[in-house]
Amino acid sequence: MARLIKTEKEVEGRYTEQWIVVDEDALDQWPEGPLEVVGREVPRIDGHDRARGLAGYTADVRLPGLLQAAVLRSPHARARVKSIDLSPALAADGVRAAVGPDDIEGLTDEPAYMGAAVAAVAADTFGAARAAIDLIDVEWEELEPLLDPDEAVKQGSLLDESVTYERGDFERGLAEADAVVEAEYRTQVVLHNSLETHQSIAHWEDGGLTIYISTQYIWGVRAAVAKQTGLPEDKVRVICLAMGGGFGSKNSPGDYTPIAIELAKRTGQPVRCALTRREENVAAGNRNATIQRITAAARADGTLTALGGEFVNAIGFSGWSSSTEGPMQMLYACENMRTVKHSAKLNLPPMAAFRAPGFVEGTFGLECLLDELAAKLDIDPLELRRRNYADSDRMDERPFSSKQLAECYRRAEPHWQRRNEVRASSSGPWKRGVGLASQIWYGGGGPPSYAWVRVGSNGHAQVVTAMQDIGTGSRTAMAQIAAEELGIPVDHVHVSLGDSARGPYATLSAGSSTIPSMGPATRSAAADAKRQILEIAAQRFNLEERVLDLKGGKIVSADGGAWELTEITGLLEDAQILGNGARGPNPTGMRVLTFGVQVAEVAVDVETGEVRVDKIVAIHDVGRVINALGASSQVEGGIIQGLGHTLSEERLVDPHTGRVLTQSLDAYKLPTIADVPEIVTDLVDVPDPHLTNLGAKGLGEPPIIPVAAAVANAIRDATGADVRSLPISREEMLKALREAEAKKRVPVGTASS
Amino acid sequence: MELLRPSSLEEATAALGNGSRALVGGTELVPLVRDGLVQADTLVDVRDLIPRGIDGSRIGAGTTLAELEVEPQIPEALREACRLAASPQLRNMGSVGGNLLQSTRCWYWRLKYPCYLHGGDVCHAKAGEHREHAIFGNERCASAHPSDVAAALVALGASMRTTSRELPVADLYRLPTDDNRDVAPLEPGELILDLDVPTPDSSVYLKAMERQRYAFPLVGVAAARTAGTTRIALAGVAPIPWLLASPEALDEATPLPRTAYKVDIARALVRRALEAL
Repeated sequence: MARLIKTEKEVEGRYTEQWIVVDEDALDQWPEGPLEVVGREVPRIDGHDRARGLAGYTADVRLPGLLQAAVLRSPHARARVKSIDLSPALAADGVRAAVGPDDIEGLTDEPAYMGAAVAAVAADTFGAARAAIDLIDVEWEELEPLLDPDEAVKQGSLLDESVTYERGDFERGLAEADAVVEAEYRTQVVLHNSLETHQSIAHWEDGGLTIYISTQYIWGVRAAVAKQTGLPEDKVRVICLAMGGGFGSKNSPGDYTPIAIELAKRTGQPVRCALTRREENVAAGNRNATIQRITAAARADGTLTALGGEFVNAIGFSGWSSSTEGPMQMLYACENMRTVKHSAKLNLPPMAAFRAPGFVEGTFGLECLLDELAAKLDIDPLELRRRNYADSDRMDERPFSSKQLAECYRRAEPHWQRRNEVRASSSGPWKRGVGLASQIWYGGGGPPSYAWVRVGSNGHAQVVTAMQDIGTGSRTAMAQIAAEELGIPVDHVHVSLGDSARGPYATLSAGSSTIPSMGPATRSAAADAKRQILEIAAQRFNLEERVLDLKGGKIVSADGGAWELTEITGLLEDAQILGNGARGPNPTGMRVLTFGVQVAEVAVDVETGEVRVDKIVAIHDVGRVINALGASSQVEGGIIQGLGHTLSEERLVDPHTGRVLTQSLDAYKLPTIADVPEIVTDLVDVPDPHLTNLGAKGLGEPPIIPVAAAVANAIRDATGADVRSLPISREEMLKALREAEAKKRVPVGTASS
Repeated sequence: MELLRPSSLEEATAALGNGSRALVGGTELVPLVRDGLVQADTLVDVRDLIPRGIDGSRIGAGTTLAELEVEPQIPEALREACRLAASPQLRNMGSVGGNLLQSTRCWYWRLKYPCYLHGGDVCHAKAGEHREHAIFGNERCASAHPSDVAAALVALGASMRTTSRELPVADLYRLPTDDNRDVAPLEPGELILDLDVPTPDSSVYLKAMERQRYAFPLVGVAAARTAGTTRIALAGVAPIPWLLASPEALDEATPLPRTAYKVDIARALVRRALEAL
């Protein structure tokens, strides 16, 4: 019998209450450690096709009569459209339709950031559409943009009300301290730069609408499109094929989907609206900049007595205010705290979630400040972190469902102990050092998430669910989970996903939630199919169900009997056994979180400011590991993206006009393969005993979180310089070295702080 | 747009000028055309007409950077400048002659701000974002010349032969002036044919960039020693490749507020380059 319950759902640290329907009987978790298939290294099912260019992406969809759209985006950070004339564009060769600010929501005549969509055209070719955009006659009234986050806070230009959080008595904590450190940290705007740009194709057919889209949330797009068009949801079909990255920026339909829908409606032909790389670098979202003015205080023994500070999220014109103060609030057992967060609303392109939004930025500030504190107290930085270990969530005193951070620290020890040796290997201008930083984040996933498993007469299984694989390898993980439960080889499992018309509701792939949400649903569906197979087998072989099991592709009995699986499934001929599965609720009254620590080894050329990261050891607790190979890939991807954030990436805008200057990839510097250090992945792989039937948490975000702080702390170890602003460009590195040099020259006794 | 494939240099020269541009590797020209920074009705494909290959000290202007970086007889400064430029794909296509004619990466110029280099009155970089910009020759325009190869050739004292003249590579370049904003002016229809690169006793190229590979130089330092004379040229520090009279000449740099760090880098790299010679 189905059960209706109310549960708490968390995405990217934001909690909501939700009704869900779940299975009656929860499954016991599998034993700890690698199993037959789960926990092993399994190559990506679609890996070869992706590498050989055979995998189909949204851009590969060729529908008869497909038109291409181009979008007129505001070149101004703040302006008013005094008049707009679409007719020259409509008259151009190959142009089939044009829409402006009055035609659909999402097109505006008061653009409040560079890149805001104002008008769009559909034409036979992209070239014709692009050329027609230039013919649109617009009279702009340019207005003064607001670009400075501190100024925005002062003027009260805020996206949300400022949030103050307090526990204990912050002032008392400062008074009780033997050492207090305070510093200002800054993080820059970085861009997701998904390899596949944001895009969708709208196709009206059979009284309904089909949307092909590169998305992290098929069902969210379906709901939004139904709302936009007034169509019943079941008349909207959303298809996500192979995907080339999203990193949080593809959670919604964006502006391109409504544009494609309207243009398709007007022309009666399917329309593709795809961002160019330059539009991608302006209008596809970003990780917002932050300013963190923070304080840490501790007794001589290292016990933190106070943590606090002011956080400014420089958000752009829209988006949401992520929890930059979250790591400070959650990572350590500190009784006294006061954080204030301001959410500056600026005439800059909107923020979109980007791989652990807030926590990447906040961990940089917190974990660097902790190393400054450790230096002041003359305590080993790793020891300082151990002395302030949190046994429960201090925000609401809830216990953690599982926390293996102490084990992560234990495993970090030998890497951390290398620092004397690494420091001693400095030579000439090259100074070497080792740094570490801890990681805390969500990643527990949650309901509602559903899957079906069909077992055919050949004994092969098909997982059917309308989830998306955003490039993280979740397709392979689902095959492993079903194979494990059914006792069949992983290549006997096919996974059908990416289509809202073919399979049940599946979760948003964000917040490191796909595996912990969809994995248990898939296992539950496979278990349902297995139960039916064993029930049938029991009848067929005149045995009790409880003595039967599925193993190695066979039905086995406790007394040693074994039958090919096909002896039962083969009876079905063309029909199948259908298992139905749901994700159970998260543990009540507990915090489900992920933890970890990274140790970085760096070399700094103190004359030229060059920073080379030689090695990063990533030790994380994400509960049970499903695919050891996919997991290490995820860790490597997160670290490489984190290194870009740490060392070279920065979106720049002109300080007068607010226009984005780094629109192309020569100006916006992503790391190349030559920038990738040795990466050692070590996952604790202990299932979370409270987290449904799998004990697996998400891994998409945790690896990017501590990278910047670990690298900056290693730089401090190598050079004595405190880098407090990202990215650590040559300029920034040389500036920090100069400041460290100046501080050294100040005679003892005159230093403040 | 029209693509012409003339069968002789004479035909090519005749077809050039007047809204047409010569095309060799296309790694520079095609993006400029795409972005509307070069208006050309006609592209003239001269790939098969421009000399290509290495013959003693002569290098055909059509020789690719990839061909130069692996050739042991090429002076090290030039080899390194090629090896540290761009990506393997670009070096496989881009010609050494075309490399010398690269436009600046100044984001204001690339985004078509009506700046001094585009014929306007002001340099937007000076009052705006200029962390990658010039420390020399930046009075009117703070753009940085992006060519590693040009700095190496200037340090090596290389000369070039075009369809109409012979001149030292250094003389190709001039700072933009009110009368002419072009930093590497060629006559209409003029094509670079080959380079003559004297063999130095020793040469070196050192490059600072914001990532390990595939970035334009923040500072590139080329140095060459021939018969007791040393020449130093810098990339990425001025609107043109910058011949440095002596290491002390770095004291005369005129950095902008956010480019002072480039002087520090240049000092370190010049010292290292001279030590390496």
